[in-house]
This record gives sequence, structure tokens and C-alpha cells, in this order.
Amino acid sequence: MLTKDDLTRYKRQILYTNFGEEGQKRLKQSHVVVAGLGGLGCSAALYLTCTGVGHITLVDCDRVELSNLNRQVLHYEEDIGGGKPFSAAQKLAKLNSSIEVTPVFRKITEHNARGIIKGADLVIDGTDNFKIRFILNKACVAEGIPFIHGAVQGLFGEVTTILPGKTPCLACIFPEIPQRRGTIPVFGVTPALIALLQVTEAIKLLAGFGSLLTGKMLYFNGETMDFTFCNLVKNQNCKVCGTREV
Amino acid sequence: MSIKARLHPILQRLAGGQEVVEVTGRTTGECLENLESRFPDIKKMIRDTRGQLRPYCNILVNSESTYPKELTTPLKDGDQIDIVVFVTGG
Repeated sequence: MLTKDDLTRYKRQILYTNFGEEGQKRLKQSHVVVAGLGGLGCSAALYLTCTGVGHITLVDCDRVELSNLNRQVLHYEEDIGGGKPFSAAQKLAKLNSSIEVTPVFRKITEHNARGIIKGADLVIDGTDNFKIRFILNKACVAEGIPFIHGAVQGLFGEVTTILPGKTPCLACIFPEIPQRRGTIPVFGVTPALIALLQVTEAIKLLAGFGSLLTGKMLYFNGETMDFTFCNLVKNQNCKVCGTREV
Repeated sequence: MSIKARLHPILQRLAGGQEVVEVTGRTTGECLENLESRFPDIKKMIRDTRGQLRPYCNILVNSESTYPKELTTPLKDGDQIDIVVFVTGG
């Protein structure tokens, strides 16, 4: 049920024909997990909050550092040294007090991943390393929860939406978990842009309209301002999703 | 046999900005060698010191992963290969 304040706050998006009050209600009833509160996760959480997703869980085990502030827009100088989920949750609560924000200051592992995401309507990939991405990918497939993957490097970024059992998962494309790479370059604008594409996917998926980036990877090249696609096919032998019944 | 190879954006800058490069070869490995001979920086990016494909790279043929035969998958006329790189930052 939308309140009078909801109808005012979200008026401009409710006007959108394919969305309307019904779409807004669906967002309000939704629970989204944002895994990682770095460049991707901060921007994603910010816009999920603006758009009125009813419950957002923020998961990260890192503390804010000065070198984060070129891209992690929910953390301020005064937050340095503090846990990222708490820093982010504090800002989001001020932006939209009508939604529920749950900070989880924990490292995502093979053992706890399913428990952290259980019951969520979707998971946003805001992580910064291969291993946790693969853990989340596996957990989302096991729980049947959509996983919106995003990743960045420098001025390059990528997005795809994974629907367990229906579309290729990360392990279909990269069957082996690559080793962690060193510190990579990144401009703040790149994760911001990719995160907003992830949230665009989330809004459509939760509200049930439009088409999704399923079965294809969208690439953004900020040097040339090109958006290109790579089609992806489900690997029937995938060790994560290959045997799952559709 | 001429094959179209689509390059991940990170590799395009190592190939003079080209997204699609015509390569020759009967297998994915031969096509990759043909590409690398023209753009040696791509080889440095996608192979390790033993010449193996780095784990954050993969070769798709007609959008399907070739793992574990990334370098030995046979190709036929009209096939398209994608050389993809798994980006890690967040």
C-alpha cells in the first residue's frame, strides 16, 4: 500500500506508463541485497534508495579509506576508519527514512553467502574481486535469486543480468575463478555509470516491465564512448548452473 | 579460413581501436596466434609466461564458452569468436 508521502515522493516515476502505482508497490515490497559498498555498491544503493526499494541490505567487511573517496559516494571524510555498511546506511536513512536499510558488516564466504541473500528478490554485484563474485553467483543460482553483475576497470565497465536456470551464469563464461589481481585503476564515473545500469535492470526486473540484459554482456568503453554487446550462451556443463532444472 | 574475432573493449585499445579483426586459422588457437602476431600487446595481456591463456580471459565461439578447449576448438566458415576479459573492479 502506498502512502500519501509515497505518492508525492515517487510521483515523477509513477507517471511512467509501464511502471505506475503498481510498479511502485512492487518496489516497496522488494528486498535487494547490495554486495559490496565500493564504487558500484554506493551508487547502486543510493539509487535503489531514491527509487523506493522497500528493504535494502548492505554487505561489506571493509573500512572506509581516503583512497576510496574518488568513487565511493556514500562515504565522506568523517567516515574514514568506519565500517562501510554503517557509513552507507547512515546516509541512505537521511535520504529516505521510509525504507528499511540493514547494514551487514561481514565478509561474504562460501559458508555464509546463502544465508545473507536468502529471501532477497535480487542481488546487486558491487564486489571488487573474482572470488566473492563467484561465491555470490553460486549462491544466487542455488537460491534461485536474480544476480545483476557489474564490474569496472579504468574507463571500462560491464553489466549482465543473471536469472538462475534461465540465463548463463558467470561460471558459464569463466569456469575457473581467476586469481586476484593487484590494485586496478578506476575513475569514479565508471562504477557510477555501471551501477546505474544495474539499478535500471533492478527496477525493471522488480516492477516487471521492459527487457533485460539477459544472455548478453553490455560493455561500456569510456575512452571511445561505445556501448557494445557480447551474446552469451548457457553452458550445459557448467559446474554451477549446468544441471539445474529450468 | 577467415574468421571474425570480436575483441573485449580492454583489448581493442591494443589493436588500434578495432572492435572486430579478421583473423585466419582452423582452430581458436591458430586464430589467436594470428591475432597476436599482428598485435603483440594482446599476447602480453591474455597469455601467461608459459603461453597459457590467463584465467580471466576466455574464448567464445558463436557466444558459447570453449572451456576447457580454449585453444583447440575447431572452427568452420562463418564462425565468430569473442575474446572476453573478466573485469574485476567494483
